[in-house]
Amino acid sequence: MSAPNSLSGWARWNSTFKRLLGPSAALCAVILFFSLVAPESFCTVQNARTLSAQSVVVVLGAIGMTFVVVGGGIDLSIGSVIALSSVASALVVRAGFSSGTAALLGCFVGLMVGCVNGFLVASARLPAFIATLGTMGIARGVAKWLANQSTIYPPEDWTSSLMAKNPDPAWLLLAPGVWITIVIALAFGFVLSRTVFGAWVTSIGSNESAARLCGVPVVRVRWTTYALCGLLAGVAGVLQFHRLSGGDPTTANGKELEVIAAVVIGGAALSGGFGTVGGSIVGAILMAALANGCNLVDWNSLGRWGVSTEMAQTLSSWFGSSGIPNYVQEILVGVVIVIAALADRRRHR
Amino acid sequence: MQSLTTHPNFRRSILVLASLVLIASLGAFSAQEKTRPMIAVIPKGTTHEFWKTVHAGALKGASESGVDILWKGPAREDDRDDQIKVVESSVSRKVQGIVIAPLDEQALVPCLKEAATAKIPVVVFDSGIKWDGRSSFVATDNRRGGMLAAEELGRILAGKGKVVMMRYVEGSASTSLREDGFLSTMKEKFPAIQIVSSDQYGGATVDSAYRVAENLLNRFTDLDGLYAPNESTTYACMKALTDLKRGDKVHLVGFDASEKLVAGLRAGSIDALVVQNPFRMGELAVTTMAKVIRGESVPKDVDTGCTLVTRTNIDEPAIRTVLEPPIAQWLKE
Repeated sequence: MSAPNSLSGWARWNSTFKRLLGPSAALCAVILFFSLVAPESFCTVQNARTLSAQSVVVVLGAIGMTFVVVGGGIDLSIGSVIALSSVASALVVRAGFSSGTAALLGCFVGLMVGCVNGFLVASARLPAFIATLGTMGIARGVAKWLANQSTIYPPEDWTSSLMAKNPDPAWLLLAPGVWITIVIALAFGFVLSRTVFGAWVTSIGSNESAARLCGVPVVRVRWTTYALCGLLAGVAGVLQFHRLSGGDPTTANGKELEVIAAVVIGGAALSGGFGTVGGSIVGAILMAALANGCNLVDWNSLGRWGVSTEMAQTLSSWFGSSGIPNYVQEILVGVVIVIAALADRRRHR
Repeated sequence: MQSLTTHPNFRRSILVLASLVLIASLGAFSAQEKTRPMIAVIPKGTTHEFWKTVHAGALKGASESGVDILWKGPAREDDRDDQIKVVESSVSRKVQGIVIAPLDEQALVPCLKEAATAKIPVVVFDSGIKWDGRSSFVATDNRRGGMLAAEELGRILAGKGKVVMMRYVEGSASTSLREDGFLSTMKEKFPAIQIVSSDQYGGATVDSAYRVAENLLNRFTDLDGLYAPNESTTYACMKALTDLKRGDKVHLVGFDASEKLVAGLRAGSIDALVVQNPFRMGELAVTTMAKVIRGESVPKDVDTGCTLVTRTNIDEPAIRTVLEPPIAQWLKE
C-alpha cells in the first residue's frame, strides 16, 4: 500500500482517490455545516474570495511540506522563512526597487534557507527535526535583525493588488496571488504524482536503503525536496507581505505547525512514503474553512431549521453570540488532526 | 479490490452528502428578520485585563444605544494577519458597523477599505490608523494626559525645582504624545522648573526601565520631581525611588494604573497617576458607531478622557469607577 507507484495506472488512481476521500468528505461536511448555520455569510462569492486569500500562505507551505514529508522528513522552519522572506521583500521595496524585484528576492531568500536545510539534512545527515529547528530560530532571528525588530513598511505611495480580494480586472474573480497558488499547486501536484522525481521522493520515504540500491540519487533528491519547500515558503512570504502591506518579522509564528497539520489531515504519512499535494491542499482549506466558518456562525439563524428559539438561546449562552469562540476552533482543529492520524494508523495496520 | 463506486461506504456517504445539499439549498429560500443593528467590535486581543474592561464598556454602550455587538479578537493575540481575518469575516457576515482597535497602522488599511466599499462604516478606537475613511477615532487624548501630569507635578513642586522626564520607547506614538504634552505644559506654565533630563528611554521592559531610573537618580542627586509616561516606566521609577530611599525627596507622577501602582499611590511612593478609561473607551466607541448607523453626525475625534488620581481623591466614587470599572456587571463571567 505504501508504494502506489508499483500499481497499474487505474489501481494507483483508485488508491489515491480513496485516500483523498476521507479529507474531501470532511471538507464537504465542514462546508455544508457552515452553509447551514451561516447561510447568508458563509456561502457567498465574497466569502469564497476571502477564504481563498486567507488560505494561500498555508496552502503554499503545505505543498512544499508534502514533498518533504513524503520523502520521510519534516521542515519546521517554514513559519520563520515566511517572515524572513516578507521582511526581505519589504526592505527591497522600501529601498526603491520594483515589487517584481522584491518578489524575486523574497523567493530567493526562501530557496537559500531551503538549500541550507537540504545540506544539513541530506548531506550532513542531521535529523530533520533538529536541523530545521535550528534554521527556524536562525531565520526568525535574522528577520528580526534585518527589520530592526519592528515592521518594515513600504513607501506611502506603494500599492499592491496581488492579494486584493476584489481584483482588477474583475474577470480574475480571485486575487492574483490565489491564481499563482493554483498554478503552483497544479505544477507541483504533477511533479509529485507523474514524474520520475516524484517517484524517487516517494521511494526514499518508503524505504531509503531499497531506493539507494535501485540507483535513486538519495542525497540529491532529498536536498531538492527541502529546497523546493524553502522556495514555496519564500513565495508564501512574498504574498504575506502583500497581504499585510508590510514586512512583519513576527508574522507566521507557529505557521509550520498549521502546515504540518494540513499535510497530516490531507492523508500524508508522517513516516514518509505517502502523501498527495491535493490532499494537503484539502487539509489546508479545511482548517481555513473551520476558522472562517467559526467566525460567521449565527445561532439565531438556526430557527429556520426548526431549532427552537430556546435552543438557539442556549447555544448562544454556551458559546456567546459572537459565533463559535476561538478556543472551540482550536479544539476542533486538534480533533480533526487526531482523527486524521487515527485513519492513517488504521490503513497501515 | 472492490470497485470504489460499488463500495457500500461510498454509496452511503454520497447519499448523506446529497441529502445535506438538499437541506442547504432549502435554507437559501427562507428569509431572516433582524431588528437590532449588529456591530462587530474587534480588539487587539481578548485575554488582557485592558480588553476585558473595553468589552464590558462596549456591552454597556450597546445596551444604551440599542445595538448588538459581536466581540471577536484575533485568534492569536496581537497577530495582524488574524485580526485581518476577523475584519474579513465581519464583512462576510454583513455587520452594520465595524469598531476596531487596529494592531497596525498600515496592515489593517486594505481590509478596512474593503469594508468601506461594502458600505460598512468603520470606527477606529484606542490606536490610530493611516486611513481617513474612518467615521471617527475614539481614543485617549494622550497629549492632554501628559499636560495633566505636568500641571500636577508643577503644583506639587510649587513651580520650582529640578525634574526628570523618562521616555518609554522610540516610535511609540501614544507615549511620545504624553511626553510632548508634559514638556510643553512644563515650559509654558512653570518656566522656573528645570527639566534636567528628557532624552532617556526606559525601554519596553520593567527591567530596562529600572536600570535607566537608577542611573538617572544617581546622576541627579538633587532631584525634586520625576515623570514616567506609562505603566512599566512608572513602576520602574517607583521601585528605584524606594530602593535608593529617595522617595521622601523626589515626587513621582506616573501614567496608567495597575494593582501595584495603586498600592504605591496609597503608600505614598507615588504622588499622582494619570489614568486612562478603557471602560469609557469601549462604551463611547460603540455609541459613536450607533450614531453613525442612525445617520447622525459624529466628531472625527472623540476623547475618552484621562483622570488624575491622587491620594486625596482615590476613594471618591467617580475615581473608584475609573480604577475598578463594573466589569462583572456587564460581562457576567
